[in-house]
Amino acid sequence: MLELRGVSTRYGPITMLRSVSLSLAEGRIACLLGPNGAGKTTLIRTILGIVKPVEGEILFEGRRIDRLRTHEIVALGIGVVPEGRRVFPRMTVEENLRMGAFVEWAPADLAARRDRVFSLFPRLAERRRQKAATMSGGEQAMLAVGRALMGRPKLLLLDEPSLGLAPVLVEQLFTMAQAINRSGTTVFLVEQNARKTLEIAHHGFLLQKGEIAGSGSAAELAASPIVRHAYLRA
Amino acid sequence: MPPLELLLQQALNGVMLGVMYALIAVGFTLFFGVLDVIHFSHGDIFMLGAFAGLSTLLGLAAVGLRAPVAALPLAFVAAILVTGLVGVLAERVCVKPLARSSPLMTLLATLSLGLVIRESVLIFYPRGADPKPFPQLLPQGGFEVGGVAIRYENLAILGIGLAAMVTVDLIIRRTRMGAAIRAVAQDPEAAQMMGVNLDRTVDATFFLGSGLAAVAGILSGLYYSEIHFIMGITGGVIGFSAAAIGGLGNVYGAIVGGLLFGVLQTTSAALIPRGSEFRDVVAFAVVMLFLIVRPRGILGEQSVERV
Repeated sequence: MLELRGVSTRYGPITMLRSVSLSLAEGRIACLLGPNGAGKTTLIRTILGIVKPVEGEILFEGRRIDRLRTHEIVALGIGVVPEGRRVFPRMTVEENLRMGAFVEWAPADLAARRDRVFSLFPRLAERRRQKAATMSGGEQAMLAVGRALMGRPKLLLLDEPSLGLAPVLVEQLFTMAQAINRSGTTVFLVEQNARKTLEIAHHGFLLQKGEIAGSGSAAELAASPIVRHAYLRA
Repeated sequence: MPPLELLLQQALNGVMLGVMYALIAVGFTLFFGVLDVIHFSHGDIFMLGAFAGLSTLLGLAAVGLRAPVAALPLAFVAAILVTGLVGVLAERVCVKPLARSSPLMTLLATLSLGLVIRESVLIFYPRGADPKPFPQLLPQGGFEVGGVAIRYENLAILGIGLAAMVTVDLIIRRTRMGAAIRAVAQDPEAAQMMGVNLDRTVDATFFLGSGLAAVAGILSGLYYSEIHFIMGITGGVIGFSAAAIGGLGNVYGAIVGGLLFGVLQTTSAALIPRGSEFRDVVAFAVVMLFLIVRPRGILGEQSVERV
């Protein structure tokens, strides 16, 4: 459903991604593992058109998207939980959720979508009129996921959603990602937390120094020497 | 100590002036909100709005349309369109191309553009150097309440100004474009990830802010009965001060700042001997004091009320 073919990006003279190719299977959970500074966030930003590739192609549902602008790309059905969550600090929970449905703005089932988010994250319902800036990190993480779901995405990009969260919240978040995937959304999970990630992912890719260093099913990745050595400390 | 009636009278006049200042200030604060820039030609766009309104009124009078109920709304619409488009052009030429360079470059570019607008009116408007009489289209006369004279004309100016503010508030809080403006002001990149078209949102913001300046320009013409090509200099400085007092980026702060500035001007004129000569000195002295004591403004940036 999403495919990168030989994508390279530069930041000034520095090559951030070097000929990255990967393909996400529809309806599955794919993961992108890699150490800090490997280029994981750059990869997400490249898919979203914030960073433009200097070579290669990106296809979403068979259509080239690497020349489109960010708002056009997400309008095709891509939801994002960006690195650092990036909720709108001076908007309330409800206003943030509304922004998640910005592309359609007033779909007939807007209230139903919001209620679904509230049933997934009851905490958000309690805080519906609270400004996002005044909420805890965990609540902001829920809000960021809820906001992404409001657009009914076909593909959900999660960029290090577990960062800074207590283990119990990470557990919840990953369970939630599985539930979201079971309801039909393809999930692309970018993580440093390899052990947890490989428990829920179907397949994945390993990114090192801007290059794909390995790929395969979750079981294959878990068994690979690089992953075992670097991430699972087995 | 002047009599209470005089103070009340002056405070009322101040509120009316303040509404005009607030309309200019909201533009400054909106532009700062979405692009973090101070758009220094905004004062001249206010002046341009007054001249666009006057030209429309003169044109309509030439074809026989003098009834204020028809001519005034048309003048507002025409002036808003003209300033709105010039505002968008200003942003595309002087602001966005310089987004990655030093803020000083934007300052220089917008100051220069203001000069171009001002000089163009001077050169191309017939006898542009002279103050132009502005037609008196609002109902004359008035009444008195407790020694305070209230003129119908002033009530109309107040009403139009407040209506413009309520409209902007509704646009910002209730519409899709308003949501886009708020989102871009808070996090432009996250806004784009939600599907917001950044360029179009910035255009809309500049159209909206510049259109408000046109409303202020026409109101100013109606109030003073004349307009002049240099009116944008004072108008711009006062509007910017009002926005700064209120806290740049905060729409409601800009409105409060505008009203405060107007009331300061008129009451100092009443309280201080020869005050009307000193009113700007007093008002700007208070602005400086404000900036020292509360550099973030009354409703500073940390306030959740910022758009």
